[in-house]
Amino acid sequence: MRHFIGKRAFASALSLIGLIVLVFFLSRLTGDPTALFLPLDASLESRERFRELHGLNDPIIVQFGHYVWDVLNLDFGDSIRKARPALEVVLSAFQWTLILALTTVFLVTVAAIIIGSLAAFYAGGVFDRIATFLSLIGASAPDFWIAIVAIVLFSVNLGWLPTSGTGTIWHWVMPIAVLFIRPFGLALQVVRGSMITALSSAYVKTARAKGVKASPIIFVHALRNALLPVITVIGDLAAGMLNGAVVVETIFGFPGVGKLMIDSILQRDFTVVLAAIMVSAMAIFLMNLLIDIAYSVLDPRIRY
Amino acid sequence: MTDTDQIPDKALEKEPNAFAQMMRMLWHDKVALVAVIFLIIVAFCAIFGPWLLDAAATKQNLRGRNSPPFDMAKGWLFVLGGDALGRPLFARIIVAASNTIMVATGAVLCSMVIGSTLGLIAGYTKTRASQIILRLADVIMSFPSLLLAVIVLYMLSPSVTNIIIVLAITRIPIYLRTTRAEVLEIRERMFVQAARVMGASDMRIIFRHILPVVFPTLLTIATLDFAFVMLAESALSFLGIGIQPPEITWGLMVSQGRPYLTNAWWLSFWPGLAIILTTLSLNLVSNWMRIALDPVQRWRLEIKGKKQ
Amino acid sequence: MRKLSVGLLGASLAMTMMSPALAEDTDVTIVLSEELDLIDPCMASQSNIGRVVLQNISETMTELDGSGGGLMPRLAESWETVDDDTWRFSLRKGVVFSDGTSFGAEDVAHSLKRVVAEGLVCEIGAKYFGGSTITTEIIDDHTIEITSDPAQPIMPLQLSGLTIVPSETPMEYTREPIGTGPYVLSEWNVGQNVILTRRDDYWGETPAVTKATYVFRSDDSVRAAMVATGEADFAPKISELDATNPATDFAYPNSETVYLRLDTLTAPLDDVRVRQAMNLAIDREAFIGTIIPAEAILATAIVPPSTIGWNADLKVPAYDVEKARALLAEAKADGVPVDAEITLIGRTSNFANVTEVMEALLAMYQDAGFNMKLEMYEVAEWLDFYSQPFAEDRGPQVIEAMHDNAKGDPVFSMYFKYASEGLQSALRDPAVDKMIADATAATGDDRTSKWSDLFAYLHDEITADVQLFHMVGFSRVSERLDFTPTIATNSEIQLSQIGFK
Repeated sequence: MRHFIGKRAFASALSLIGLIVLVFFLSRLTGDPTALFLPLDASLESRERFRELHGLNDPIIVQFGHYVWDVLNLDFGDSIRKARPALEVVLSAFQWTLILALTTVFLVTVAAIIIGSLAAFYAGGVFDRIATFLSLIGASAPDFWIAIVAIVLFSVNLGWLPTSGTGTIWHWVMPIAVLFIRPFGLALQVVRGSMITALSSAYVKTARAKGVKASPIIFVHALRNALLPVITVIGDLAAGMLNGAVVVETIFGFPGVGKLMIDSILQRDFTVVLAAIMVSAMAIFLMNLLIDIAYSVLDPRIRY
Repeated sequence: MTDTDQIPDKALEKEPNAFAQMMRMLWHDKVALVAVIFLIIVAFCAIFGPWLLDAAATKQNLRGRNSPPFDMAKGWLFVLGGDALGRPLFARIIVAASNTIMVATGAVLCSMVIGSTLGLIAGYTKTRASQIILRLADVIMSFPSLLLAVIVLYMLSPSVTNIIIVLAITRIPIYLRTTRAEVLEIRERMFVQAARVMGASDMRIIFRHILPVVFPTLLTIATLDFAFVMLAESALSFLGIGIQPPEITWGLMVSQGRPYLTNAWWLSFWPGLAIILTTLSLNLVSNWMRIALDPVQRWRLEIKGKKQ
Repeated sequence: MRKLSVGLLGASLAMTMMSPALAEDTDVTIVLSEELDLIDPCMASQSNIGRVVLQNISETMTELDGSGGGLMPRLAESWETVDDDTWRFSLRKGVVFSDGTSFGAEDVAHSLKRVVAEGLVCEIGAKYFGGSTITTEIIDDHTIEITSDPAQPIMPLQLSGLTIVPSETPMEYTREPIGTGPYVLSEWNVGQNVILTRRDDYWGETPAVTKATYVFRSDDSVRAAMVATGEADFAPKISELDATNPATDFAYPNSETVYLRLDTLTAPLDDVRVRQAMNLAIDREAFIGTIIPAEAILATAIVPPSTIGWNADLKVPAYDVEKARALLAEAKADGVPVDAEITLIGRTSNFANVTEVMEALLAMYQDAGFNMKLEMYEVAEWLDFYSQPFAEDRGPQVIEAMHDNAKGDPVFSMYFKYASEGLQSALRDPAVDKMIADATAATGDDRTSKWSDLFAYLHDEITADVQLFHMVGFSRVSERLDFTPTIATNSEIQLSQIGFK
């Protein structure tokens, strides 16, 4: 196992470097930030000065050299727009995203496994139909609908929750609830599908025939087999959230990394884009490693 | 753990008239039947919609904008109300089906085929290639789709193909990783080991033994991805990369109706409902097919049929 | 039992967390649409930064009265011309910066130097002082002479945009802005809020607001909802669609003008008849009160009617499709390639309903017989089309743009949009170049009439573009505030103008 992790860490480091190189060169194909940063009527001289100041006139390979040298010195550059260290900008946003994503993923996992298992156990029954129906509607509805309707209902009309922002635990309720809905629908369906297959396989039938009670059947035998695709899908959803929950962040004024990333891409604030990708990529790589380890824990036959 | 999973789809082939039997099962499961009918209607709209209603869907009337739904005074086309330019929403939803289904089907199919193929390779072989594929998936997962879209926009000209490419690339990892996770486990099962001992080729093992087991999960993800792709596509149109007005998709209609959500809800509600219903139907049909095609499970449908 | 009491404690704790810290009733919360990247005074011409900084933290030499009162003194008490290119300003005495240092001519000179400094990209410098060389001479502690090359007859107006910083301010972006204004920046919680508190040693009248908290929400309806629930007191920008409560919601002219820039360098748009046809083919009235707010005004020039020289004699072209078709046919007969496909380019999220407006324009043009297609782009790509240098093989392009001029003088618009060298100009007309140069150098009534003539020439003689609407903004003000938004609200929110009912 230690050998596996060591090899994996090395491979991941290589992919991270590849990713950064790729992003560095590709993002610079999308124009430079000069026209976006300066007012429309800025003269050609001031544009030139801006480019000179931020090294945008250098050949791209020279710019890359500077960047690599700085990163080796643990300097990830300054944000052009914010005049602050890019890494600081990203980390302060990422902490919010991390809490939001972890809480939501935890809730999704627990709820999907419990409700999905029950739906599979009573497949075709009323509970199954209702759970499937509601979760599918939630998963395919535009998320801003749910967010805005929730604000109008719970904040403006009922006055139960604050509309948006941060500060108290109540501010977290609506963002987490809205973020929960879509992944929950998909995770629930995957749990349900895998569990139906697992429950109808011969060994579970045998256990049933032997008179083992309902809940141990589900949770010990079937679940173990069904979990592989489930954690994979939840992992993918978590990766999406670690890249930022854009709709939730824009509507609820939540200072996460998703809106930061989008704004930085649209404004060509390359250093922030690179720092943000670096941080979220590390989180995603780590998560995928944990998932792979979880496979072999769940199913000892799987070895790498 | 006793492992006696069977190779699916054998029973069906033996049936003298498989199609008739499917139809009979479908008839007995009314929910699935409704879903199938709905999908046929959507497909019909996608093919013939632009040809039938294009003129009506683009006829603007600024002074009759945002007309509320269920008011038949302006003609049956306005049954779902009018949009911000006074165009009938009903006609627009039907015309938009064409672009919407094209983009969504294209993106979902591409990502599913490419993703699951790579996933099969990564899961089945233990070579260096599988490591490279997986790290590539890590990279794609960490690459912001918006950045990809902006890059594509700058390097290529805006077109429907490009939007499909962007959407497909970003959705590859989920199929890839899910397929691989399942293959890792199935590979170790008794029947696969047995097939291998008996000298079955790798191709045969993958396509006859492994893929049928993995497929249902992929289908579940793919059906929900339809909704995701339909909505994500409108975000890319904002950049100027995808479908451009006056061309229209359901996702674009939903996002254009967003500011009106509290004043004229119908602008984004109906296209959103179309997305929800299509996704729901796809999912219900895929759930039904999963049972109908699986000989171990089929008793569920047949028992129900007999009861009625 | 023990468990229960712990639970109760938790619940009561949660309850206290839920109610915000007891706010004084002279505190206000303002919800802006965009997070601030910087709070440097030299960036205050950016509207989201200006709304926090201008006249609250940093003051200017002169001030343009938002309610139409013209140019007023602020840190300068009076001014006069010394000769054609030099102005003398007498500064207010007894003014101190929030760091305790006193304000004098030295600070004005430094502020002017700082906005055009190399190594620091200041928007104010690029916007108001680009293209001219400014030199200063300090006469005494409270008198300064400012010279501009070329001569600048409206320098006092330009100085209404210059934020004054103390002479110790370094030549790099500061995160702790120091100014002479009635408020200081007391907290900046990045991503969450910016808090200004009232100063005790302000030179002027003590304002009523003691503390202002700025928060940021990019969604229109959320900002409106925040004022409705009392979480915020003022939202300077809400959507027209949410502005449904007459007690709290106000429309104000926001000094923005929407127009279509015609590429007069490319056929068929180089033919005046085609450009006239483009003006006649659209039903401007139909937009007003439908997808453009009812309070908006049809435009005949790129600057709003409150600008000097705005020409009241110009008539909005009547909607006449027949005539447009006739003009096109006439041009076609003369060999103008009127069938060439014209690209109509819009900017996504430029203003509310921009996509609908563009779609409607497209339909009207197609109806009149134009061969046209629509492309909508996000700002970065759109700028490539709008600003020089233009692509060589671009084909005929019509570009939608919205221009802001709240300064009351056309000089801030005309050169950039119409002169041959102007960065967003697709016009190469020596007569226009000369008229702009003459008007820029003129003063008084002569200046007014020269601008007027230019507007008439552009609109009636050469039909340089398609002017559409002078826009309005909507804001929501809590009923407990005594405050009415004006044309200035687009660029600044003076807390000292906010009272309580």
